[in-house]
Amino acid sequence: MTTVEPTVPGSYDGFATSLPTPTSRWSRLARRQGWTAGVAALLAVLLVWRVSQLPKFGAFEIRTITAGTMTLALLAMAQGVIVISGGIDLSVGSMMVFGNCLSALWMPDRGLAGCLLVAVAVIAITAALATLIGAIITASGVPDIIVTLAASFVLAGMALWVLDAPRSGVSADFQRLVAGRLDNPWPSVLWIGGVLLVLWLPLRRSRLGLAIYALGSDRKAAFLSGVQIAWTRVLAYTAGGVFSGCAGVALTASTGGGGPLASTGTTATLNSVAAVVLGGVALTGGIGGLVGPVLAALCLTLIPAIMLGLGWDPSNAETARGVIIILVVAVAGLLQLRRTRPS
Amino acid sequence: MSDVTPIAAATTEESTQVVAEIVRETVRPGWRTRLAEQPALVLAGVLVVLYAVTVWKDDSLLTVNGVRSILLLACPLAVFAASQTLCMLTGGVDLSVAMTANFAAYVAANQSGRGPWIALAMALGVGVGVGAVNGLAVGVFKVNPLIMTIGMASVLLGVVTVGLRGWLAGSTDVLDVVRTVGSGTLIGPLPTNLLVWTGISLVLVLGLRSSGLGRVIYAVGDNQIACRLAGVRVWQVLLAVYVLSGLLAAIGGLLFSGTTGSVGVDQTNSYLLPSVAATVIGGTSILGGTGGYTGTILGALILTVLNRLLLRLEVSEAFRQILYGLIVLALAWSYVRLTGQKVREGGG
Amino acid sequence: MTTPLLLETSAVAKAFGAVVALRAVDLRVRPGEVHALLGANGAGKSTLVKILTGVLRADAGAIAIHGRPVALRRPADAQGHGLAPVFQDPAMAPDLSVAENLRLTRVDVPAVRRHLSDMDLGQLDLGEQVRDVPLPFLRMLDLARALAFDPQLLVLDEITAALPPDLSERVFAVMRRWKERDRAVLFISHRLAEVRAHCDMCTVLRDGRDVASFVPAEGGEGQIVAAMLGEAATVVREEARTRSATAVDVGDTALLEARNIGAGRHLEDVSLAVRAGEVLGLAALEGQGQDVLFDVLSGNRKADRGELVVDGVTVKAHHPFDVIRRGVVLVPSDRLQALLPQRSIRENIAAPLFNRVTRWGPINGREEGRRIDEAVQRLSIDTRAASQVRRLSGGNQQKVTIARWLARGLKVMLLFDPTRGIDVGTKHQVYDLVRALADEGAAIVMFTSELREIGLVCDRSAVLHNGRIVAELPADAGESALLRAAHGLETVPA
Repeated sequence: MTTVEPTVPGSYDGFATSLPTPTSRWSRLARRQGWTAGVAALLAVLLVWRVSQLPKFGAFEIRTITAGTMTLALLAMAQGVIVISGGIDLSVGSMMVFGNCLSALWMPDRGLAGCLLVAVAVIAITAALATLIGAIITASGVPDIIVTLAASFVLAGMALWVLDAPRSGVSADFQRLVAGRLDNPWPSVLWIGGVLLVLWLPLRRSRLGLAIYALGSDRKAAFLSGVQIAWTRVLAYTAGGVFSGCAGVALTASTGGGGPLASTGTTATLNSVAAVVLGGVALTGGIGGLVGPVLAALCLTLIPAIMLGLGWDPSNAETARGVIIILVVAVAGLLQLRRTRPS
Repeated sequence: MSDVTPIAAATTEESTQVVAEIVRETVRPGWRTRLAEQPALVLAGVLVVLYAVTVWKDDSLLTVNGVRSILLLACPLAVFAASQTLCMLTGGVDLSVAMTANFAAYVAANQSGRGPWIALAMALGVGVGVGAVNGLAVGVFKVNPLIMTIGMASVLLGVVTVGLRGWLAGSTDVLDVVRTVGSGTLIGPLPTNLLVWTGISLVLVLGLRSSGLGRVIYAVGDNQIACRLAGVRVWQVLLAVYVLSGLLAAIGGLLFSGTTGSVGVDQTNSYLLPSVAATVIGGTSILGGTGGYTGTILGALILTVLNRLLLRLEVSEAFRQILYGLIVLALAWSYVRLTGQKVREGGG
Repeated sequence: MTTPLLLETSAVAKAFGAVVALRAVDLRVRPGEVHALLGANGAGKSTLVKILTGVLRADAGAIAIHGRPVALRRPADAQGHGLAPVFQDPAMAPDLSVAENLRLTRVDVPAVRRHLSDMDLGQLDLGEQVRDVPLPFLRMLDLARALAFDPQLLVLDEITAALPPDLSERVFAVMRRWKERDRAVLFISHRLAEVRAHCDMCTVLRDGRDVASFVPAEGGEGQIVAAMLGEAATVVREEARTRSATAVDVGDTALLEARNIGAGRHLEDVSLAVRAGEVLGLAALEGQGQDVLFDVLSGNRKADRGELVVDGVTVKAHHPFDVIRRGVVLVPSDRLQALLPQRSIRENIAAPLFNRVTRWGPINGREEGRRIDEAVQRLSIDTRAASQVRRLSGGNQQKVTIARWLARGLKVMLLFDPTRGIDVGTKHQVYDLVRALADEGAAIVMFTSELREIGLVCDRSAVLHNGRIVAELPADAGESALLRAAHGLETVPA
């Protein structure tokens, strides 16, 4: 390092500040992907456990897990992107049920192509509705938690409006395309991975994605960096609407129909929050990604299955899920406190 | 007095500034400010109008029985909303009230063999215990209240469901005293559960206004840093609030089981989100620091009457839900507009 | 020949509610010039910078760049007109990497790298998460980012405050280069030596208006200090002399004593003691550790080293409550930290009365009312907008934060810059009150960014520089002595 002659006399005596030691590649990776890796490890342990419980572990068993998790995984993505932007959405579950009902209304008696068209239309509609919710939040100044709570009533009503009773009869081709045959786990895995790769990855890399992260991380810094705060917030909800719509369509495909059950929505919303938190997204925003929540959704599906395998009352899974969520948030909170506190 | 006298006379600009400040503070508050300071009046107006509209569709509301049914149904909602009001005043929320209520009602029914007092005490103990865990987690371990209470609801659901096949199995007889209080009639249109509700209302309204705990509850919700600097130990306040919330939830659960004469794993769950809505409509900000129980009482009545009106309107269940959501949103929005308690946007 | 001005503001004004930050500022920056913007704390420098960079909008006045009037509504507008700022707080989201933050601002990343290597910082790793980058290097990154926009006017707000000397030198080199390219730099700094050495011109703000504009190398520090303090300075000094002549006797035992306090990198071996009836003034430039010292004294932060003694008893403070119950109370700098903005004056004043569980029962309304009325009257608080203290003026708010401790009772009062941003009338009421409290036997520690207040209110003063007490001066030492000590220019033996 070159030394510079001081221009202010006596201000320093040739003392040179050294560059900060860069954090090692390893610690940086650990910081960025550590949590996700941890969830992946947890998932691996749970999988091994589950495999050891079953007499036979083949395509059918895998498909049971992946197809059963698909909707929650997609819904966790919806919640995840909104939480990353610093918000929360208590209406994602109802949005999913609405998408489910809408597709179950339009899909029966249509061929594969018709069903796909309907799927796209449904996702577009949920995205538009979520945009409206986001716009109401930014325009009204009413806390997001209240707006989305009210929206969850409205959406549950809309689901009931489009479909007043459970309906089935969705094209089997479409079901197989999305959820796979009973012994074929690949479609569901590919759809989850596909949504991550095709929708999330480009968004994450785009300037909008950066803006969403910056918004959740430090609103003031984001503003000073030229991020359009209100607009970015609304678009985060739009992205959430796309993912909720995907979850709704996936639910239609995996059940072969739809039902306007409000409690499905409420439970799904709570589970999505759980998956997001367990997946390493900080509730304060700005930290985490969507891979973690997807893996966490798989964990949350496996836990009841394993308990059942142990001969436990499956209802203990509820308890376990609650305890896990609370512990994860408490520990994550402590870790984060330590990390952000200046030394 | 000190020997320091003002030295430099204020410059003209500075004196104009001082004058401007005084003028600003003396200007009579506009109608908005006044309404904002008296939300109960506005809400009472809304309630009267809504009631009148409902009467037009359903004249049974003019009868003794009609009034009684409204009060009877509003009571558990108002008690759950009391939990919510306390938590929201501190900037939190309690989404475990419904499961706490179900659990407490189960315990009371299950232990009815031991006599009413022991059974009731155990049921209330459940509420206090759940609240204490919530309060410690939120106050000491800084767990986000939303997550903590969602998680707690999950835990309780598991505990009750499993318990039903084990230690909670057996009697599901609702205690006579609970049944009497929950479904009896005091006099004319007044149901017996109104006694409990009135007691709770008095304690909350007076307590929030003129007790030390009430003051620090508002203070914690308004500015936690200021509380700390004033020597208030915030965790103690949060612990107290969540314990009270759990206790109120248990009472609400008992009242509801008395009204229906049954216990169930999820029988009060449909009250959960309306309890938050009633509190918000009543003018308590979820960000904490403003509001009170008077508004919540009116909020609970408004929602109950609204429900009745929507039932009477010949619209489908679907439209009822849609209208319900939209009205909650509209009321919250107009409240924010009126009081200016807007969430601030952006930096700068 | 007159060169056209690069930047010209005329009568720019800005008020925040009742607090007027800028009254009328004319600023003229020529191309090829490093222009210093000077002024005491609260003079309006930061507000002017925020207006010039589009973060805030001016209420009145005009801004012209190269002679053309411009409207600066958003940060992007300022950027488009060739104004690039480096703010006091780093404008980077902490959870993103540096590279991602750069992409967010649509800056040319290779250009940022080029400027970094020009400053001999080419080795900085842009993949690093902002949270992990030490503050001085974040400032340098901010600077490189601003330079990459190739601005006409570079605005540097207190950039050297957080920099070690050798990095500051690199900033000065950049400033020289910008000047040679016939562009301009607006430089804000508290370090007068830097201003004298590197700036071609300076404009001094006081109370929201520009009061002087001259070549700093000619006028020297004396002229700068005089312009910053204004004429009032001389009057005040005489006043102070009268006061200390009649000062009351102070007791023997220290009510509050700090022994060898150390805290992180902020405080190093700070010892001070204040006795009953005494007002100790603390002077320091911004960011010398005074906030940490007050946090330690008020129990809001644990000291890493040293001990705190209150009235002869060593206190281990885990929570502000531990010192408050011994009568040591804090009036913080930021009124938003002390007030319950949505609650009434009464509730604000009464708040500390309920800080223990035994006081959570029913309130004795009459007793409470008596205490509060007393405090309200003593401070003559205007109670006409009593229902929410956020509607009060700054001065009245400050009175409320003081009144609540009067209602509770106190032995030691810690005041952190109690007169910042309040009107002159209230300022004098605060001075009177502080003296009166001391006369009644309280011990007072008062940090102030307005040095004249030390001569006016305090019995003696201590000067904090770089986390150490560098000088202890009598009250009548005068502002220039204080200012020199605070700048670390010369250390006066205690």
